Amino acid sequence: MTRPKALPNEVLSDLSVSAATKLQCYRHLGIYFKQSAKSLEQQIAKEARFYGALIRLQQNWKVKRQRVAAPASGNEGFTIDLFDNSLYDSAPVSRPSSLSTIRIDHDSAGMLAINLPPNSCRSFRFGFLGVQSGDSSKQCSKVKNSCSPRPSKEAKESVNDDECVREKHSLLREVHQAIFYEQVFDIVNREAFKQSLGVNVTGIRENYLQLGIGLGISIFLSLIPSNQGDLSVDSWVNQNVESGILPLDSHDGVKLAEEKDDILRKSGGYPNPLTYEIYLQQVFHEYLYGRAKNKPISTGTRVSGPPTKDGSGLLGHFCLSLAHRIFSNKVHVELENAVCGVPYLHLVSHPTWHSRTSSWTVFLKVPQSILHAESNSRTAETAKSHFRTNVVVNDDCIHVEGEGTPNVVGLFKGRSEDMSSMNKYDCDLADLPVIILQQVASQVIRWLHEEALMVGIKANRDFLSLSFELDQGETVSLVAHVDPEDMRGCISWWLVMEDGFAAERKLSIDISDDASDYKKFLGHLSLDVLYSTLMDLVSLCGGGSH
Amino acid sequence: MNKGAGSGPTAAAAAAAAQKQKTLMQRVETDIASIVDNFSQLVNVARVNDPPVRNSQESFMMEMRASRMVQAADSLLKLVSELKQTAIFSGFASLNDHVEQRTNEFNQQAEKTDRMLARIGEEAAASLKELEAHYYSSGHRTTQNSQQ
Repeated sequence: MTRPKALPNEVLSDLSVSAATKLQCYRHLGIYFKQSAKSLEQQIAKEARFYGALIRLQQNWKVKRQRVAAPASGNEGFTIDLFDNSLYDSAPVSRPSSLSTIRIDHDSAGMLAINLPPNSCRSFRFGFLGVQSGDSSKQCSKVKNSCSPRPSKEAKESVNDDECVREKHSLLREVHQAIFYEQVFDIVNREAFKQSLGVNVTGIRENYLQLGIGLGISIFLSLIPSNQGDLSVDSWVNQNVESGILPLDSHDGVKLAEEKDDILRKSGGYPNPLTYEIYLQQVFHEYLYGRAKNKPISTGTRVSGPPTKDGSGLLGHFCLSLAHRIFSNKVHVELENAVCGVPYLHLVSHPTWHSRTSSWTVFLKVPQSILHAESNSRTAETAKSHFRTNVVVNDDCIHVEGEGTPNVVGLFKGRSEDMSSMNKYDCDLADLPVIILQQVASQVIRWLHEEALMVGIKANRDFLSLSFELDQGETVSLVAHVDPEDMRGCISWWLVMEDGFAAERKLSIDISDDASDYKKFLGHLSLDVLYSTLMDLVSLCGGGSH
Repeated sequence: MNKGAGSGPTAAAAAAAAQKQKTLMQRVETDIASIVDNFSQLVNVARVNDPPVRNSQESFMMEMRASRMVQAADSLLKLVSELKQTAIFSGFASLNDHVEQRTNEFNQQAEKTDRMLARIGEEAAASLKELEAHYYSSGHRTTQNSQQ
């Protein structure tokens, strides 16, 4: 039995239904294609952003591809390698940092994202133990929190991809810097326990090292987590000090160090710790990267390379440089105090651009009025207008070199006139003011002696005295007295008269007795007044005694 | 790979690169052929047939063809990603040039900074000398000494 033949309207109805059904299918397909196209466009845009950023990062960083067995959707397995293999090969660094490999992820917007674990980045801190440093808190505020994980919202807040890439560059730069800080701290730790000049480990704990560098000074080096950047360094340091630093020697050493440095702290003799933090980083940076790339360590005018002659090592050299700076500040204070007490002295600093050498010159200048007066009587070349005393400090050794002082050996032989033009000797800090003032006083005596000889008067010169012979065997002497503590002036002058029988009474003269018949206190005289006094004595010698 | 390592890629590397290129081209052709073929079938099936039972069959086929088209497009997208990765990790010549250029720039900047620091040091030393000379010759210091 066959199916009855359909009527035309039935055929048309079937056709219309079929056409409508097919049309509906195509509409569904159209929606499907639109959705797929939108999705694919978004994916293309995400990948374009991601790979564009990756290519830009690759210009400055080492991008590696991880070989994964089953790569998940959107995860190509890229990492950034921040470790310098040449450092590892040459063994200045014991092991790569945990931060050396940075994983690259996608954020919700498809952009390249770098997520670091919290507290992964640490910054390097250096300071003096027990010294409040006003800059430290400012430095802490400079420690950025960008190493902590950013919420995904931040990716959406980025204005454009350029800014996002710049942020990633900055983040990688901070991680790179954190790795360098870890390397420096690691090397410092290793060198601290070697036999090194000028370095004693006095305290240690995790990420904290305390060193004694001599002169009773203690320093600390630490790695501070980035999330503690809002805290002041001092509170963090105190926290470490109180909560269990294991001192290698007794606390007395630290106490003694603090007591000794009280004066220096009050006078501000400690250098800015930030400068030496930078210097320490610079020294180790040259050591790490200059050595790895076979470059000669810089010994330019500004930086002295780590010395190898004394075997002090990098850390030893740094600590010696720091100790020298503190010591030279003390020397400078003493020199300034001495120069301030004598009006006709000038202090000139000579930058040596060497981290362990400092140099000054104490100038004694003859007043122009005297020079002009003398220029009429003799040629200018014979007139000495100034005398110099050089003070050079190498590490903690003070070397004084002065002209115009009598030879000490000549003194013992009774011939003080036999002198070398330049005397060189070492001294310590406590004796420095007295030595400088004695040097200056002897230079004044020498100048007066030459002036006397110029006018034809014979005079005898001793270390700090100038003697003139009068008639009847009497002697009148101009004697210098130095006292660094004298607030009115560090160099004072006495006039001493002696007859031929006063030699045995010389030892019993009371220097404090201003009204003695044999001596008179002249006061703290300027060079003009001294010159006038000399001329008076010269005329006295020429006109006989009274 | 750098310029100094040799005159160019080895024969094995060249063969591997050629084979990979051939594979990628085949994938591209396959995907595009799949898209074109499936689209052609979609267009062909637009004809309205008399037996209504074929509509369901054709509807299913249309969905399948559309899925295959999208799948081929997605495959092309992945191929583009692979090509980008290959470009990133193979373009050493340009990368090395860029690195050398940046190295030279940084070295020049370092030298410039060193010179600047040296100049600053010299100027500071000269200024210090001048200031010391002025201070010790000044009336202020003379007044201080007279007050003592």
